[in-house]
Amino acid sequence: MAKLEARNIKKSFGDDDYSLYTLDGIDLAVDAGEFVCIVGPSGCGKSTFLRIVAGLDVPDSGEIILDGQKVTGTGPEKIMVFQEGALFPWLSVSDNVSFGLKINGVPPEDRQQISTRYLEMMQLGQFARYYPHQLSTGMKQRVAIARALAMDPDVLLMDEPFAALDTQTRYTLIGEMQEIWQRTKKTIIFVTHNVAESAALGSRVVVFGNRPARIKTEFRIDKPRPRHAEDGSLADIQSKILAELRPEVKKQGDLDD
Amino acid sequence: MIKRSLPIRIAFYAALVIGWQAAASSGIVASELLPGPYEVAQDIAYGIGDGSLPIGVATTLWRLIVGLAIAIGVGVTLGVLMARVEIINQTLGSLVLGLQSIPSIAWVPIALIWFGVSDAGIIFVTAVGAMFAVSISIYTSVRNINPHYVEAARNMGARGTQLIISVLLPAAFPHMISGFKQGWAFAWRGVVGAEMIFSFLGLGFLLNVGRHTVDISQVVAVLVIIMAMGMALDLALFRRIEDHAMKRWGII
Repeated sequence: MAKLEARNIKKSFGDDDYSLYTLDGIDLAVDAGEFVCIVGPSGCGKSTFLRIVAGLDVPDSGEIILDGQKVTGTGPEKIMVFQEGALFPWLSVSDNVSFGLKINGVPPEDRQQISTRYLEMMQLGQFARYYPHQLSTGMKQRVAIARALAMDPDVLLMDEPFAALDTQTRYTLIGEMQEIWQRTKKTIIFVTHNVAESAALGSRVVVFGNRPARIKTEFRIDKPRPRHAEDGSLADIQSKILAELRPEVKKQGDLDD
Repeated sequence: MIKRSLPIRIAFYAALVIGWQAAASSGIVASELLPGPYEVAQDIAYGIGDGSLPIGVATTLWRLIVGLAIAIGVGVTLGVLMARVEIINQTLGSLVLGLQSIPSIAWVPIALIWFGVSDAGIIFVTAVGAMFAVSISIYTSVRNINPHYVEAARNMGARGTQLIISVLLPAAFPHMISGFKQGWAFAWRGVVGAEMIFSFLGLGFLLNVGRHTVDISQVVAVLVIIMAMGMALDLALFRRIEDHAMKRWGII
């Protein structure tokens, strides 16, 4: 049985006359320990899909099944990393990481220990007492990942977490993310519009089509890790993904980038 | 920025006092209409000496603090409820908007009937005159929170009161300060105004005494004290909290 299953998810925005960004029957099964990347043109609804999986949005129809149970809301078993990190500026780095543990009633000494462990995993050990405004964008995103991992979720949901980073930092985090995945054996769903990123990270890359959003095709990538975004061995798969994506981006016309 | 402009400011106030003294000494303005700064300073010194000013300041301040605390307590509660519960916003929210338009002083008759000439009456006027402005300001700050904070917290399992206390309030805090400032401004006007009408101790009462005894220098002395306290509180307290919060919250 799949760890997580999306069954015929439909969602539309806007009013009756003009509905935008439609998810039109998304079916996706993700096995435990898979690293699934979802690529699609911006605005195609891939982030909405992720939010539905997280329980932050409710689909018009269809259901998300996690471990055989229907998802009805948010919960600590599926934690999302947002594009802008969404760290709490009034809390120190270490309090940010232990926020979810506190909410869920983990005693202080355990919180401390868990937060230290994940901050060290993200190479942020010495920044525990800093505040978010004192960190670079890349460091903030690392804290956000540590905060998500500290919840020890079964499924880690990542919504374009590296989109705001410079190329150098992004490449570093692509490397780190693979290490974390291999160490923690989490099931990861990672949404991006960056083809190179998806090919480097994913054990499977799912391509979303545009208007209405349906799953167009998918690729399994078994190349050895760690992989780099600019690995020559990935060039072939990258161009295949791009070839699938290009007509979808065109469909979008002049609506956005 | 405050530091660099300090010499200019000192020079401005020095010039103002000198000009004022010159006008008073030259006899252009009759001293019964506007006393010179020297007379006013003498009056302040006298008031400090006989204890009337310190007692007046202390009385007004404690009424202000209690009234403002009530206004902030009620205002934050109302504001958060209005921002988070649509039905409350539709109903109570519109009422609050109306109540907010009532000047503090207009609450005095009700306060007199309900509480008589007492501290409670003055505190009532102070609190009621400020709380609705605070509510509206808190409502706006909570509505304008970065939605990502709330989603991240919900995502990690925060709900209900926990969500309000550990996320909504701190997230809205930097913007709430302007609500507190507004509350303080309303409360300060309310307390002095009410004291004048109640004529029951405090700075407003001292203003009234000055008026009844036609002691213009006492009137001006109390006005100067009221203004100085207002400026001091704004600079020493609110400006500092605001600067700190803006920096921590990464707004500047």
